[in-house]
Amino acid sequence: MLEVTTDWYLTLAAILFSIGFFGMMIRKNALIMFMCIELMLNAVNLTFIAASKHFGQIDGQIAVFFVLVVAAAEVVVGLAIIVSIFRKQSSASVDVLNVSRG
Amino acid sequence: MDFLFILPIFLPLLTAIFLFLNRKIFNELVTNFFTLNSALLSFAISFFAFVTFALDKFKPISITLYQWTRTPDITIGFTLDGLSGVMLLLVTGLSFVIQLFSTSYMEKDEKHSNYFVYFNFFVFSMLLLVMSSNFLVMFFGWELVGLSSYLLISFWSQKPAAAKAGNKAFVINRIGDFGFLIGLMIILNTFNTFDFHTVMQSSTNVSENTITTISLFLLLGAFGKSAQFPLFSWLPDAMEGPTPASALIHAATMVTAGVFMLVRISPMLQHSATASMVIISFGLLTALIAAFSAMNQYDIKKVLAYSTISQLGFMFIAIGAGAYVAAIFHLVTHAFFKALLFLGAGAVIHSMHHEQDMRKMGGLRKRMPITAGMMGIGTLAISGIPPLAGFWSKDEILASVFAKAGMANELVFSIMYYLFWALTLGAALLTAFYMGRHWLLIFEKDNGIDHSEVQEAPKAMTRPLILLGIFSIFIGFINTPFFHGLEKVLHETLENVEVTHLPEGIALVILAVLSIGAGFTGLIIAFLIFGFQLHKRINLGKFKLESPINLVKDLSSNVLYLNKFGNVFFVSGMKNFSRKVAVVVDGLIIDGSVNFISSAFGKTSKITSATQTGLVRNYVVYFGLFLILLISLFIFTPLVAQ
Amino acid sequence: MFELLIFFLPASILIIGALIVVFAKNPVHNAMGLVMTLISLAIIYITLNATFVAMVQMLVYAGAVMTLFLFVIMMIGVDKKEQTSDSIKGQTFLVSGVFLILMSLLGYVAVNSEFSWNLWFPAVDYVVEGTPQLIAGTLFTTWIFPFEIISILLIVATAAAIALAYDSKIRNKDA
Repeated sequence: MLEVTTDWYLTLAAILFSIGFFGMMIRKNALIMFMCIELMLNAVNLTFIAASKHFGQIDGQIAVFFVLVVAAAEVVVGLAIIVSIFRKQSSASVDVLNVSRG
Repeated sequence: MDFLFILPIFLPLLTAIFLFLNRKIFNELVTNFFTLNSALLSFAISFFAFVTFALDKFKPISITLYQWTRTPDITIGFTLDGLSGVMLLLVTGLSFVIQLFSTSYMEKDEKHSNYFVYFNFFVFSMLLLVMSSNFLVMFFGWELVGLSSYLLISFWSQKPAAAKAGNKAFVINRIGDFGFLIGLMIILNTFNTFDFHTVMQSSTNVSENTITTISLFLLLGAFGKSAQFPLFSWLPDAMEGPTPASALIHAATMVTAGVFMLVRISPMLQHSATASMVIISFGLLTALIAAFSAMNQYDIKKVLAYSTISQLGFMFIAIGAGAYVAAIFHLVTHAFFKALLFLGAGAVIHSMHHEQDMRKMGGLRKRMPITAGMMGIGTLAISGIPPLAGFWSKDEILASVFAKAGMANELVFSIMYYLFWALTLGAALLTAFYMGRHWLLIFEKDNGIDHSEVQEAPKAMTRPLILLGIFSIFIGFINTPFFHGLEKVLHETLENVEVTHLPEGIALVILAVLSIGAGFTGLIIAFLIFGFQLHKRINLGKFKLESPINLVKDLSSNVLYLNKFGNVFFVSGMKNFSRKVAVVVDGLIIDGSVNFISSAFGKTSKITSATQTGLVRNYVVYFGLFLILLISLFIFTPLVAQ
Repeated sequence: MFELLIFFLPASILIIGALIVVFAKNPVHNAMGLVMTLISLAIIYITLNATFVAMVQMLVYAGAVMTLFLFVIMMIGVDKKEQTSDSIKGQTFLVSGVFLILMSLLGYVAVNSEFSWNLWFPAVDYVVEGTPQLIAGTLFTTWIFPFEIISILLIVATAAAIALAYDSKIRNKDA
């Protein structure tokens, strides 16, 4: 317990991921769900950086770059969708959106 | 010039096709012209071919039209030898005479041209059957003859009885044909060929069991075609067809195809004692049942139908006793007097405006003298009164059975054959009785019904009757004990066959006297009851004969209730069984299992589609479940070896 | 000692921020919790020698993305209280089930391996500094292809966002 090794960071990332996952299941508001997605993505980023340090290669940080860019693009598009959905209905709940029911 | 005999086979076919194509254009006169000329031409060519053949000392001629495969040997060929020559003359000659009669009988019928098309088609198929040189062509003819018979029986198809009778004939024939086909398969398997000559010659190399099996299956076919017990009930129903068609088909030609076929295979058949015993017993049984049933029938044609069945039984008895020449002889004589009787009945029906119940006739002798005279000749002939034709042939059959009894090895066979002889004599007596009754009821007995508008039949009908009458008198002389004409003709055909010979000398005379006596007795009894009205003049009450006579009458008119039995057992039983099968097996089991499988798909998909809710949060939960799955996969399976 | 501190402080802020994101009622609070998480993550990145990535994270994530989030929160309605009652049948049951199983799996793993993660490859002893030169060197040579695709992705995302959120009524009202 005296040294901070890589597995501590991995554990931290795991905890962050499960908190984000749990939050996705719990909350009904679409925006909050999006934020939980962000949490999960950040946990993945942390894993990548820790692995990059562990193996001594720079490619982990490159991967973080890509994840970052994709997350940003996804947030843009997702929020635009949420905005256009919530122009129709005034509540922010996702529970009424079951058009793709089969 | 040797191959001239092929022409009469195909000429009726061409006529049939020609008349069929032009059936809407030709009127009755033109149709009559073409068909009569073609029939006359066929007969002339066959007569010429037969004379040439006879002058050549009856040496058989064969011709192969087309060979399909070499081994097994499947060809299409025809042959002219004694047996087929006799049948050729018979069929073409009778076809001409009966077509002449039909032009008058079928006059003003709306399906006039159809009739002649079917008639010519029938003649073609019958000739195919008799002129064939191998089993395959014979089978073609066999089947086509059945088809033509069906077409002609159900000719007036708007009558439901006629349509049903046609169906019945075809179905019962089919049962026989099934046996025939199996026999054919066994023949091809055993001998590797269908050719008659080859099969007959190599039949000595084959075991007796095989011969018996083949013979029994072919016999089944003969039973169906020649209306023997148990496949005979189609023939009385076949009387729904036009009378001249019945005259040709169900008296002279088609029903004799079975007899013809058995004589054809006689070199093979003689080696199987079992088959011969089966033939003679069934023939006798048929003869007796039919003769018994004919005694109390009231329809003019049904009596003749049962009579035909009975006489065919006689021919089968002859074959079973080994007297093949006698069988063919009886075939020829029977053809003439039965055709005469049928045409006479047709003339009566025509003059009585299609009335067929004999109880409504009576005393027609004064109104229709020629018909009465000719039918009288026919009746005498069939009863076996010398010197008419029927005597010679029937007597030969009886004498052969008696001779076979004398030739038998063991005592029990001897006794059996004597018993057969006695029963056959009894059948001959019954024949004379019912035929006498038939003639007397139509022409003699006065019922008090007014027949003033009945006149003699037109000349086109009476002339064939006279012609056939003359033949019935004189045709018997072709094979008497003094002049074995037919035997010489058939000599080459029955080369290696052991034919049962007649007893010599005084035994023959005694037998002849006995058979004449049987015939006379039958006629006298018939005359006493129906002509002289004996039972009305003498009081027979003290003999208490009322109930037995009524019982006999009842059994006779219902054919010993055999038809009812067959109907209940086979028809109704089969129908019920198949209905049950249709409902239970098809409906419940098969449909049930198919429906179950398809509904299983539907139910499964309903269950699995319940997971598609369209809600995001549910999908997240699914994501979590799969996460768990993946993690546990990693934990619990050794993925990478350390 | 110093290393432990420099690890645990951002780590705890991280966890607290994450919990705030999940459990807060007011959406603005959620956003603030997320910002806390992002900033502490950036600090952790610096301790892991990924300096450039930490800066980028701070700029892009905590700067641009969170601003975007706050804009949308404001636009949609901040003062609406969200009902906490569950309107999907069986959701609570399923969620708690999944969570319990997951936790038990992880606990099982932890107990089984006696709290020591057996990473298959040992750590390297040299340190790779995440300098911009190093990152750029790899990004534009080995990873050039994904880089180009990412740039196209960004353009497409921008166009998509405009197309989705475009309201013709507002436009026409102006004209």
